[in-house]
Amino acid sequence: MTVQGWINPLGRRLAEVIPVILLATFLVFGLQQLVPGDLAVTLAGENATPQRVQEIRDFYGLNQPLIVQYAHWLANAAHGDLSRSLLSGVPVSRSIAEKLPNTLLIVVGALVMAMAAGIPLGVAAARWRGSLADAAVSVLSSLGVAMPNFWLAMILVSIFAIGLQWLPSTGSTPFIQAPLDSLRHAVLPALALAVAGAGEVARQVRSALGEVLQSQFVRTLRAKGLKPASILWKHGVRNISVTLLTVLGLLFNRMLAATVVVEAVFAIPGIGTLVVQAALAKDFPVVQGVVLVMVLLVIATNLIVDLFCALLDPRVIRT
Amino acid sequence: MIIQRRTLLGGFAGSATASVVGRARAAATPQKGGTLNVSAFSDVTSFDPATGRSGDDHLVLYTIYDTLIDYDFDTLRAVPNLASAWSFPDPKTLVLQLRQGVQFHDGTPFDGAAVKFNLDRIRQLPRSTIRADVGSLDTVEVISPNEVHLHLKQPDTALPLILSDRAGMMVSPTAAQHYGDNFDRHPVGTGAMRFVEWRDGERSVVARNEKYWKPNRPYLDGINFVVLPELQIGLRSLLTSENDFIYALDPLQLAVVKRSSKLVAVVSTSLLCQLLYFNLSTPPLNDVRVRQAINYAIDRDAFGKATGGLYSVADMLLPAQHWAYDKALVGRYKHDPDQARQLLAAAGHADGVDLAWFTYDDQAWQQRAEVLIEQLKAVNIRVHLTSASNPEVTSQFFQQKQGNVNLSSWSGRPDPSLTYSLMFGSDSFFNPGHGVTPGLDEAIAATRVSSDLGARAAAFAKVQQMVLDNALFAPLIFQPQIVAHATKVKGYRPTLLGKPRFDDVFLSA
Repeated sequence: MTVQGWINPLGRRLAEVIPVILLATFLVFGLQQLVPGDLAVTLAGENATPQRVQEIRDFYGLNQPLIVQYAHWLANAAHGDLSRSLLSGVPVSRSIAEKLPNTLLIVVGALVMAMAAGIPLGVAAARWRGSLADAAVSVLSSLGVAMPNFWLAMILVSIFAIGLQWLPSTGSTPFIQAPLDSLRHAVLPALALAVAGAGEVARQVRSALGEVLQSQFVRTLRAKGLKPASILWKHGVRNISVTLLTVLGLLFNRMLAATVVVEAVFAIPGIGTLVVQAALAKDFPVVQGVVLVMVLLVIATNLIVDLFCALLDPRVIRT
Repeated sequence: MIIQRRTLLGGFAGSATASVVGRARAAATPQKGGTLNVSAFSDVTSFDPATGRSGDDHLVLYTIYDTLIDYDFDTLRAVPNLASAWSFPDPKTLVLQLRQGVQFHDGTPFDGAAVKFNLDRIRQLPRSTIRADVGSLDTVEVISPNEVHLHLKQPDTALPLILSDRAGMMVSPTAAQHYGDNFDRHPVGTGAMRFVEWRDGERSVVARNEKYWKPNRPYLDGINFVVLPELQIGLRSLLTSENDFIYALDPLQLAVVKRSSKLVAVVSTSLLCQLLYFNLSTPPLNDVRVRQAINYAIDRDAFGKATGGLYSVADMLLPAQHWAYDKALVGRYKHDPDQARQLLAAAGHADGVDLAWFTYDDQAWQQRAEVLIEQLKAVNIRVHLTSASNPEVTSQFFQQKQGNVNLSSWSGRPDPSLTYSLMFGSDSFFNPGHGVTPGLDEAIAATRVSSDLGARAAAFAKVQQMVLDNALFAPLIFQPQIVAHATKVKGYRPTLLGKPRFDDVFLSA
């Protein structure tokens, strides 16, 4: 493939970044204004007179027109400064840097679990299509996809944390400080997220691999006398790698969003908890900062997935 | 095991024996060491007492900061702390005698200059949230390192108890000047614990102040305050031994504590009062007869039983243990549906009346609203309920002045004059219609004139009589403070204010 062939899709993706960020942050900023409550009243304290509330409004710049407040935030963000939380005064970038690893650990853990369980199940179902194993995988994956993750999370807690006391039921530990303890904290939330993902992966693998196994070239390989295992893993699974990567990208983005609920069940100080608390308190610099980072993460994931897909199958780039 | 304090057993329904407390205490000999893990339902809003925005901050602030004056845990009477004594030589001067030999965690001596610095700071800091608390203060005069005179604009005998709150928490002048706006990230007080770490939304950590001025305190090496916003999740963390202490539990969660052999529950009276706020300025609640009818229509006992069963009936805003409680007002609004109907008819609402209500959208408040709606329906008061989040209800009812009634609660203040002025003062935020009751502002001001507790109690009796006669609100029940802790946690004593303190807490081996 030519360099031009790579640059075009890459450039197209990057060109999408700016309008998406502008649209997402502006929409979220606008929506926050619909949330009831006056931050100035909160910041002024309970015994404050109306004059004091006005002083506070002036002090924090909350009296400026919305578009001015947004433009001010955007200008700072463009210079890499995500401002400070209006409530705690902590730089937003620091809060995100502290919380994001907790969220990413759960999401990556869930992805690994989903792949580790979903691929073998999907392969088995495709290999023995129409068998009892196929039916079992279909039922299990449907169950996995249908099961609400917050409900599953509570069931996992009652068994593994309260009943057996094998794993902690709340919180998290920074991975750098104590890697093992950090992993112990991540197991149950990751598992709660992974079950739906595993169901999704199993379904997609079954469907894609089923098609591949019925294709002409596989028939040719069989006719040439290749071992079934070799056909399945070497030719079959390799041919669905683009599908797998695409599912991986979609799952990552979906799990990132789903952590908001799972973090609440396990009281994990992640980015979901951060944005929920900030939104409830109308702490708009924090909400804006988190949304910006989330948007960047999703765009980066999609871009990486596209690039890898192009590497694995150059035909992708031409479509 | 459930423990209820003998002195606080009062009107609570429930059956626990006070002797359990005695045995539990006698069996435990205080010992030093160990870290207490506390499940806290909210994060600290600021470690700077001057800029905090939540009464729940006190849980952590009490460990780092000593207040000038403290309160008696059982009665909320003012007792010495950093100020070893105080007096009002005249109604507009408060003299504080300061304890000698006390140091802040950074080595700065605590003296008259530090007190002046603190009291000036909370009035001058642009981000201060407690200016109004010391609104009566004019100047602070340092007489000597151990004596300061507070000159007041008007008589204010509520000030000693106000100084047992945030306004009296002494911060190190050296640290406050050095860190400026970042002081709340580097808090320094004289308290039993020094600040170690604050991870926003996650945890706060404090550790023993080895140079603490109170002999043989603190017992604990440190305390971790772990932020777990959902009480259900917090209680779960005690069952899995991740944490040792939780507070503000719902009565319905006591069943979980009872089933566990690892946990102890402590149920105590607190100032937290569930009540109905009224908008006094819009029809139909601008008519006192309609407000009285609501009060007569409510069966408080039935309400308490239906909503968890652990309660004491609220006849006023103070529970029976409080020094300003007035027995004469007990039963002012006994359940009397006939009287309620007569009052409604006299007010021109013989066919009943429609009221727009707000309450919060969680299960517990929904249940409370349902019980009251049924009780009021019996006298033909029709409730149209809107449920929303706390900020939304606050915005709509108190700020935008929508609706007639807000079913909510009041957490109380160390000095009752603050409670009454905040709730019923003619320009108060919590009096959304700014309804004016003739003579009430003056009567509330009169509670701050005398320093004699008996005289103050008499002044409060007058205020409370006016508030109830005019039915400015509808008291419902006092909600107990329900704490659960691991059996190894000893020495915990509840406070009437309802805010947990760890002054005497220790861990048994």
